[in-house]
Amino acid sequence: MINLVVGTIKGGFVFTSDAARREWKLVREIFPGWTVTAVARTPSGRYLAGTGSFVYGATVQSSRDLEHWEQAAQSPAFPEGSDRRLDQIWCFNASGDRIYSGVSEAGLFFSDDDGDHWSPVDGLNEHETRSDWIPGFGGLCAHAVLVDRNNPERLWCGISAVGVFRSDDGGDTWTPKNEGVTPAVPDALHGIGRCVHGLAIDPQNANRIFRQDHMGMYRTLDGADSWEKTETGLPSGFGFPIRRDDRTGTLFVFPQESGEYRMPPGRTFQVYRSRSDGDSWEPAGSGPASYAGVLRGAMAVDSLAPCGVYVGTTSGTVHISPDAGDSWIILPFTLPRVLCVESFVESP
Amino acid sequence: MATVSVRMPSLLTSLLGIPKTVQVSGDSLQQAIEDLCGRWPSLAVHLFDESGAFREHVLCFVNDTNTRDVGASEYFLGDGDVITILQAVSGGC
Repeated sequence: MINLVVGTIKGGFVFTSDAARREWKLVREIFPGWTVTAVARTPSGRYLAGTGSFVYGATVQSSRDLEHWEQAAQSPAFPEGSDRRLDQIWCFNASGDRIYSGVSEAGLFFSDDDGDHWSPVDGLNEHETRSDWIPGFGGLCAHAVLVDRNNPERLWCGISAVGVFRSDDGGDTWTPKNEGVTPAVPDALHGIGRCVHGLAIDPQNANRIFRQDHMGMYRTLDGADSWEKTETGLPSGFGFPIRRDDRTGTLFVFPQESGEYRMPPGRTFQVYRSRSDGDSWEPAGSGPASYAGVLRGAMAVDSLAPCGVYVGTTSGTVHISPDAGDSWIILPFTLPRVLCVESFVESP
Repeated sequence: MATVSVRMPSLLTSLLGIPKTVQVSGDSLQQAIEDLCGRWPSLAVHLFDESGAFREHVLCFVNDTNTRDVGASEYFLGDGDVITILQAVSGGC
């Protein structure tokens, strides 16, 4: 069975399907009225959700069954008295038993008790370049955390309008790693001012990271020491999400027409994929006429073979490919604006 | 101490499993809110921002009075007073 969680600006929606992934049933609304901005499952099997409200703030919720939820005893939070405001939980990722969460206003937090209590990663949150971090259109958000599964000391964090940082000492210290990426912020200093939108890593070889940036599609083969553009076949280098099928290495993106328009270049729903680590890209099937964009969290890839690809749009439609992008179905629902999508293959 | 009622917004009662109206104790608004958050610790993060003040769009009324510009420690309560927490109507989607 597959569970698909779609997070929107007005709540979360849980769908289920069998392994064929062609027929889906809406089984539950979760957090009605709240934004659902991130969903993940920890190595212990616990689900975490980032929920929020522009009135009542953002917190982490946890569940064992996607039905009964409990608020973390201590969600990520800046210290009392801080002039920073935590307004959104952007992502979760695990390195061993430690769980990381990226938030906005940009910050990184960790939990060593499966998401109940969170502490700040001061080496990044209080980085010496912090005063030069300038928010972009999407605010100042730490939206991606990557881990090296073969070396828990090595981490990467992507911050919109700032760039990628790497730590080689388990998060104690961080260094901007954006060499080769065109700055998005004029007169950027200290190797920052780069607007990373999405990141995907090869878990077998963490030196290989793929980057959907405001200024184009990039990859690194040396752990982010240097980046190169890889846009052959793409109608636009601009977009937000990037996901990788770790079984085959296939990459998936959703190109959009520039920061000004943020609509599909051909005015159709069109995912692109690369089966060559970004050397070249091709359309992945085809979709209907569409003017909707796809936000950075609103794409997921499952672990089945062939992989399922899940995409939610800013117009509230959800597109699913059960065959690695060859064909697509659309869920018969119009949801609120989709912020995040995550799939979970459940044990029988 | 005075016993007062607190009426809670539905977004919070549904998320946290708190009754829509609860009874708390306090001779001042500050004491009453401390009692409220002591009984439901998960509530505090939703009411207060990092400055320690009510979040920008959270309103706290005592009976018919908006307490935004009144110091909570100096706002005295009597038995039967009603505290209402609600979100400011700020437009949007």
